[in-house]
Formats: sequence, structure tokens, C-alpha cells
Amino acid sequence: MQARHGQSSYRDRTDEFFGIVESLRRSIAPAAANNVPYGGGGGVKREDPRSAAANQSEFSKRAGLIGLAIHQTSQKLSKLAQLAKRSSVFDDPTREIQELTVVIKQEISGLNGALLDLQAVRNSHNDERNISRDTTTHSATVVDDLKNRLMDTTKEFKDVLTLRTENMKIQEDRMKKFSKISSKESANPFVRQRPLASKPSPSQPAPLPWANDSSSSSSSQIVPRRQGEAESSPLLQQSQQQQQQQMVPLQDTYMQSRAEALHNVESTIHELGNIFTQLATMVSQQGEIAIRIDQNMEDTLANVEGAQSQLARYLNSISSNRWLMIKIFFVLIAFLMVFLFFVA
Amino acid sequence: MKITALLVLKAAPETTDPVILANASDVSHFGYFQRSSVKEFVVFVGRTVASRTPPSQRQSVQHEEYKVHAYNRNGLCAVGFMDDHYPVRSAFSLLNQVLDEYNKSFGETWRSAKEDSSQTWPYLAEALTKFQDPAEADKLLKIQRELDETKIILHKTIDSVLARGEKLDSLVEKSSDLSMASQMFYKQAKKTNSCCTIL
Repeated sequence: MQARHGQSSYRDRTDEFFGIVESLRRSIAPAAANNVPYGGGGGVKREDPRSAAANQSEFSKRAGLIGLAIHQTSQKLSKLAQLAKRSSVFDDPTREIQELTVVIKQEISGLNGALLDLQAVRNSHNDERNISRDTTTHSATVVDDLKNRLMDTTKEFKDVLTLRTENMKIQEDRMKKFSKISSKESANPFVRQRPLASKPSPSQPAPLPWANDSSSSSSSQIVPRRQGEAESSPLLQQSQQQQQQQMVPLQDTYMQSRAEALHNVESTIHELGNIFTQLATMVSQQGEIAIRIDQNMEDTLANVEGAQSQLARYLNSISSNRWLMIKIFFVLIAFLMVFLFFVA
Repeated sequence: MKITALLVLKAAPETTDPVILANASDVSHFGYFQRSSVKEFVVFVGRTVASRTPPSQRQSVQHEEYKVHAYNRNGLCAVGFMDDHYPVRSAFSLLNQVLDEYNKSFGETWRSAKEDSSQTWPYLAEALTKFQDPAEADKLLKIQRELDETKIILHKTIDSVLARGEKLDSLVEKSSDLSMASQMFYKQAKKTNSCCTIL
């Protein structure tokens, strides 16, 4: 048997060759490399091993594709992690990061679907034919391994996203330190920090004393505001420039915030539904308890009534006996009188 | 969270200044002598922002301690001066409402306006007072607030139902004890009644 499995001794392997050709014709795509070990082992029964081989080859081909895709996704993920780690103030690759994020997300969801398909395919194949135990365990192990790898990739993705949001927060804090006014515009988290943000900062120190003075002297707000108006127009122009470049994200921001608010409302309503269901369950349980209490009280009532009738009867019997006893006493006294008469 | 002013302007093409169509401002919290200058300031900044807002775009500008929100829709621009705490979304839904109302009441007459109109539009003034509370302007905010209150009330309800459950449990115990005791009582009475060897 060892000689049959690939050692280059002189052996007539024409039958095996024909078997391979048949299996190749049956399988959809060329997968000759996978068929050789399985096709070689098929001596008598050509049918089963061949279609089993076809199934197996398809399975392993798909598994190979999925593994490759997972590897590519993890490579992109490492690139994204590098981009996210770069925390320089001015050179902000937000767009690339967002694009990469979207791409990776799509890939991960596609891989999920493909993995589920693979599992379904394997299950259907296992139901059709009696494949050996080893093959089933092998395919199960392969699917589990792919699933684990995909899970690791998704976890890394999540970590990278959290790292990215932390970095963005740090950047915002740093922005706030450098420029007071442009940081107020960045309170909107989707607004990007453009390199222009550096431009207002050198011009800030001049208007800033105005602004600080105006905030300190709250009573006379208008006087510094008059002076600040002259400053405000160049400021406005700069902020307008920024705003113009941030126009599209602001539109998206508005829509996104509306969508987010709607999501919140929907989830709140869902929670409320849950709470109501729980409430109903609790009340129905307590209703059962109340019924039990009612039954207990009825039993008590019956017992006490019975006991009362017994005692009443008892009382009757006692009192009636006294009547009898009085009569007996009278009879005794009568006898005594008779005895006294006799003696006396 | 307050609105200081609401303006409706006609946003002419870039070269000319926008024309003010309606103006409502609440300057009561400034001193008497500053009110007119605050009004002028509002007019000036409103014109500037409106002229720089491209059509069908929304915009928010931070100016000293005010946020100026502008929404330009087909040449009709609504500008609102709010403080920092006023939520942005409610501001824009308010501007939307103002624009719709203006279209409804004035139709297309504003397109021909060439100079600032000095008549007051009562709707704007009452909108200013009504919408000081952002929940009024933004239905979503109102709904969210009511839902939160409902959730709190439901939590309290569940707590009281749990307390009721405890009391019911104690009642069950006591009633079962009572029924036991009454049963013993009945048996005793029966026993004394049965053996009636009366003296």
C-alpha cells in the first residue's frame, strides 16, 4: 500500500489515473491536488469515494479560500492599527481610517456568511453519505479553527476601534489647549480637525484677551463685544472656511444624530416592553399566592365553625346533664327522707 | 439653554448682502442700554452667516458664547442664535419649522424683497418664547424625555410590586398557621365531646 501512495517505484497506476480523471470530471473546479490521496485510496468502490472526494475537495477548497481571506483581513487590520496609533495632531488620516474600517467590516461580515455556508455544506454532505469518522472530525476541526481565527480577528478589530476613539479624545483635549474657539466647534465629534485648526491658534492670542476680558466683565458685555466684533469678522471668515470644508460631514452629522436619536427611542421602547412583561409575570405569580391565601382562610373558617358546633353540643350536653343530676339529687333526697322517717 | 434671536433672511447670491425678512430677539437679560447694540450685533452676524451659507446646507458657527445655527433652503435662510447648551438637532428642527411656517404664511412674496422688512412677524416672537425649552422644538427629544419618565415610573412600580409580593408571602404563612391552629382546635373540641362520661 505504501508503494501505491506516491513512491516512484514501477507500478501500474493506470486505474488510479482513470479514477482521478473521473473524479476531476465530477468535481466542479479543478482540484487535482486534493483528489490524489483520496482517489488513490479508492480501489473497488469508485462511486462513493469519488463523490465523497468531490465533496471533500469542495469543502477543503472553500476552507482554504476562507482562511486566505481571514489572513488578508488580519493584514488590513494590522495596517489600520498602525494608522490608529499615529497620534500626531495635524496629520490626521481620518478618511483612510474610516474607509479601512468600512472595508474591514464588510470583509468580516462576508467571511461570517461564507463560514456559515461552509458549515451548512459540510452538514448536508454528512447527511448524504456515510463518510468515515475521521473525515467528519477533520472537517469539524477545520470549521472550528476558521471560526476561532475569525473571532480573534473581530476582537482585534474591536480593540483597534477603541484605541482609535481614545486617541481621538486625546487629540481633542490637546486641541482645546491650543485653540479655544476652534475647539468649541470640535465639540461635535464628527467634525474633523483639519490642518486649518493650527492656523487660528497663532491668531488666537490677540482676540483671546478680548474674549477673556469680555467673559470676566460680565456686566458690561457689549463694550468688549463691540471691539470683539471687528475681530470676530476675520475669525468668522476663518471659521467659515473651516465650516465650508466641514459642510458635508455636518449634514451627515445632523442626519446621523437624528438616526441615533431614533435608535435610542426604539431601544427605550423595547426595554419598556420588557419591563411590562416582567411586571405581568410577577403580578400573575402573586395572583396565585393570593388564591392560596384565600383557600387557607376558607379552611380555617370551616374548621372553626366545626369546632364551634362541637363545643355548642358539648355545652348542651353538659347543661342537659345537670338537669338530670338535679333530678337524681331529688330522688336521693327523697330516699334520705324515707330513711330518716324509718329511723325516727 | 436659551435662544437669543431668530432671523429669517433672503440669502441673495454671493455678491449682495442678505435681506432680512423677519426678526425676533429676546434681549431681556441684557441691560437697557445694551439692547439696541445687541440687536445690531444680531443683525450683522446673521447677515454674515447667511451670506456664507450655501443653499440647502446647514451650518453651525461658534461666536463668543453663542452658537449661530443657519439653514439655507432654496434662498430662504433661517438663522438662530442659541447658547452652547441648546442641542444642535433641536436647533435645526426649529429652523425647519420656522421656514415651513414662513413659506405657509408668506408664500413666494419674499423673493422680491429688496430691503429689510421692518414689520414684525408675530409667529417668530411666540416661537422664540415657546421654544426656549428644546424639547418643544424637537419631537424626538420630547418623546425620549417622556419615555425616560415612564421608565422611572415603571421601575418604581416594579419595586412596589416586589414589596407586595413579600407581604403576600407573609400573609400566606400566617394564614396557613391559622388554618393549622383551627384544625387542632376542632380536633380538641371533638375529643372532649366524644368521651362524655359525665359526672
